[in-house]
Amino acid sequence: MDVMGIAIKVALLTAYAVIGTCVGLLFMGIGRKIIARVHNRVGPPFYQNFIDVAKLLSKKTNISHGWIFDLALLFSISGILLTLLFLPIGGVQLLSMEGDAFLVLYLLAIPALGFALGAGASGNPNAGVGVMRALVMMLSYELPFIITLIALMIYYDTTSLATIVRMQSINGVKSWAITMPPFMLAAFAADMALQGMLMEQPFDIPVAPHEIASGPMVEFGGKYLGSLMLYKAIALVAETTLFVDLFLGGGVVAHGNFAFVINFIVWLALIFLLFILSILIAASFPRFRIEQAFGFYWKYEAIIAAISLIWVYILVIK
Amino acid sequence: MLDIIFAELIIAAIITFFVGKKIASIIAGFISILPLFALIDWANNFGFKTISFGIERQMNISVAGITLHLGITPLSWFFALMILPLFPLIMLYSYSFFKENDGFYPFMLFAFASTFGILLSKDMLSLFLFWEIMSWSSFLLVYRSRDKEAIISYLIFSVFSAFAILFGLMILWHENFSLLLSDIGRINGIYGFIAIASLIIGFSVKSVLMPLHAWAPFVYSKSDEPFVAFLSGGLSKLGYYGMFLFLFTLNGVKILQNYTPNVAWNYLLAVVGSLSAFVATMLAIMQDDLRKLLAYSSIGQLGYIAIGFGIGTPLAITGALFQAFNHAFFKAVLFLAAGAVAYRTGKWKISELGGLAYRMPLTFLAALFAIFALAAIPITSGFAAKWLLYEAAIQQKYVFIAPLMLIAGVGAFLYSFRILYGVFLGENRYPDVKEAPKSMIAAMFILMLPLIIFVVFPGYMLDLMKPALSNSGIESIAHTKFAIETSLAKYNSMAVLITLIAAMVPAFIIYKARKHRITSFEDNYLAGEPYEFHNPSMHAAHNFYKPLKGVVLPYFEPGATYYFEKIYKGIGILSNGIRRIYTGFVQDYAIYVVIFLLAVMGWLIWM
Repeated sequence: MDVMGIAIKVALLTAYAVIGTCVGLLFMGIGRKIIARVHNRVGPPFYQNFIDVAKLLSKKTNISHGWIFDLALLFSISGILLTLLFLPIGGVQLLSMEGDAFLVLYLLAIPALGFALGAGASGNPNAGVGVMRALVMMLSYELPFIITLIALMIYYDTTSLATIVRMQSINGVKSWAITMPPFMLAAFAADMALQGMLMEQPFDIPVAPHEIASGPMVEFGGKYLGSLMLYKAIALVAETTLFVDLFLGGGVVAHGNFAFVINFIVWLALIFLLFILSILIAASFPRFRIEQAFGFYWKYEAIIAAISLIWVYILVIK
Repeated sequence: MLDIIFAELIIAAIITFFVGKKIASIIAGFISILPLFALIDWANNFGFKTISFGIERQMNISVAGITLHLGITPLSWFFALMILPLFPLIMLYSYSFFKENDGFYPFMLFAFASTFGILLSKDMLSLFLFWEIMSWSSFLLVYRSRDKEAIISYLIFSVFSAFAILFGLMILWHENFSLLLSDIGRINGIYGFIAIASLIIGFSVKSVLMPLHAWAPFVYSKSDEPFVAFLSGGLSKLGYYGMFLFLFTLNGVKILQNYTPNVAWNYLLAVVGSLSAFVATMLAIMQDDLRKLLAYSSIGQLGYIAIGFGIGTPLAITGALFQAFNHAFFKAVLFLAAGAVAYRTGKWKISELGGLAYRMPLTFLAALFAIFALAAIPITSGFAAKWLLYEAAIQQKYVFIAPLMLIAGVGAFLYSFRILYGVFLGENRYPDVKEAPKSMIAAMFILMLPLIIFVVFPGYMLDLMKPALSNSGIESIAHTKFAIETSLAKYNSMAVLITLIAAMVPAFIIYKARKHRITSFEDNYLAGEPYEFHNPSMHAAHNFYKPLKGVVLPYFEPGATYYFEKIYKGIGILSNGIRRIYTGFVQDYAIYVVIFLLAVMGWLIWM
């Protein structure tokens, strides 16, 4: 690849990183507004999260607890940006040809582990308990998610997200995975897993503000809390995009001259809808206990996912 | 030259009986570097340009009319590459680990020499001979623990393994009348089937595959750490070396298939491996003893290798060998780090440790990096191995194995964080502890090097295993220096690493934009309560995964150990019954003699 090609690629990746961050912060603000409306409050303005992040990042008093604590800041932002760039977004492949869905699953663990290290290094017992809950939640929701992922992989005979998106975009909306009955079941299970990934109610057990003082981030303040807010914003975009890539054809509906713009708008609309769905579920349900959440995922969701996997397996073997 | 290397290893083993601890570890360390020169030299034979020391490839030792055929094969060269470098580094570590020389070094050297011998064996006799020397010397090392459960379980399982292997080898000999391993290809039918099955069962004891793993938690948690690092990192690979040798190089898979064309024995091995990975991971999450946690984690991680051999496609076997290579190094580092922690604090229970990261930062870094490799985070070479195995399972559409493997991978995060949080982070319980001695740190950091090299160049690893694979008729995977490509997807480690470093830039800007000040965490450990009311018996890492324990653990009761104990008790009752024939009355013995003579007469008449 020549110098010009690399420069264009780097510019594109930077642009998507910035867009992802802004979209995430915007969505978080809108989410706060919607939850306030459901609760019959006025709520903050939709751009509140931009103000919050700017304020936190420019604070003059920052308390650290040593270099391991700082790893939380460094790994959470870099890890989640890395994950975002390995996903196809609105039909644009970015780096997704260089890796696959398994890589994305493990890249998602980098920011989580960095975050957990920082929380642990703060020495606060609430942080430790919060990380424990987050990890148990991860074990819970990953099982149905992995099973649906395998169903998709054996159906399309690939593990690459870029290829999955391409095969779903051949006939526009009609070839999206979610239009097939087995994948409707799988999409339901995966959406519940997404609820856990986003740590929204009823699965906001790890942060649980009333029980363990917002858990892992209890000791974070100033630039550390600001960076975690950025992490959460980008993670929101990355995780909903992963769902869209898997089941909704990556938002690709058009081919041709202006396809790039149309696909981008469709992708944005789809992740917004997913996020609104998740927010509405969050606004209507109280929090599970940790063992209830574990049972929910490993019993009901896993069985739904397994039915779809067996169905797909029979289709493929035939 | 080769005979000199062997002779020096044996002589060094004898000398170390009589010298002090420091001299013994220096002798053992330097002598055990010699086989590495041989490895470098032999690389010339497999298509790599290295220095030549003029060490021969073949050697025959004739003793009393019996000839032992020794020599290097591409397969044993690759396994030697992962097992042998551990030894000098473990000796470097043990330089400051032991207080005195009380019989550790001689037996370690015997174990090392016999490991080298097993890898060089080209006939069944030398294979079994060296296997027995290895089992015997490692048993004496386990015996140093003075723990009844560890000693008895290791002895019983080693004897079982040796019998199974001997049984298999004897059948092979009876069919071929040739001791050379290369003649096995001719065997077929039921005898071939029984021989191969028995060999696989025998080897799976050493490679701690799930039903036969019961000895490992006891032995790993009671023996000396440097030995356990070698046992888990090095000796467990010998089991997989044997499996690979008989299954792929010597066509065991075809022998099994020819006898029972309708049964997929491969698939059974893969299922056993995946259950092993899943169940052991779940049990590792629940452990409080650091060494037991690492033992179950070993069982789980080694299960992946069995999955790879079971799936049996080139992709899967490549992944399995890669996983074996990684496991040798990261598990050795983890056991050595655990040993360093115990060396300074004297504690093994995770709930009694805590806050050591700032006191022992280098040990923490080594453990952290090894844990990244164990949890297959893509900044270490651990990821490429697991990725190849996942790809292989999806390629074959193994829908039962793939979810178990993946969820075991997620479970690894849980117990990894248990180690990190319980031992190194959280409340600082040991404010006066010093960093581990320099030799320990050096050993751990050198052991980390392969994990770094092969994440930057995963292609080099595939190049290294190419001779072993092509010798067994397995084609190698398409790859470049930085990327591995399969029919399903591509993994480019360079893209990951460069993007990660680039993504560090905004994070670093945020980090540097505003100053921070560091405060001690004693004031916030108690979440705002005054320090005087702090109850030191309370610990956030105590019973860490309690919510999970109540839900998951009942499904794993009563466990394999329960059934082995039942068998153990049953044999006891049976033996007690047989013992009753010794009644102590002369009349009874006379009747036995008469019955025996009558039986012999009856047999002779019948003949």
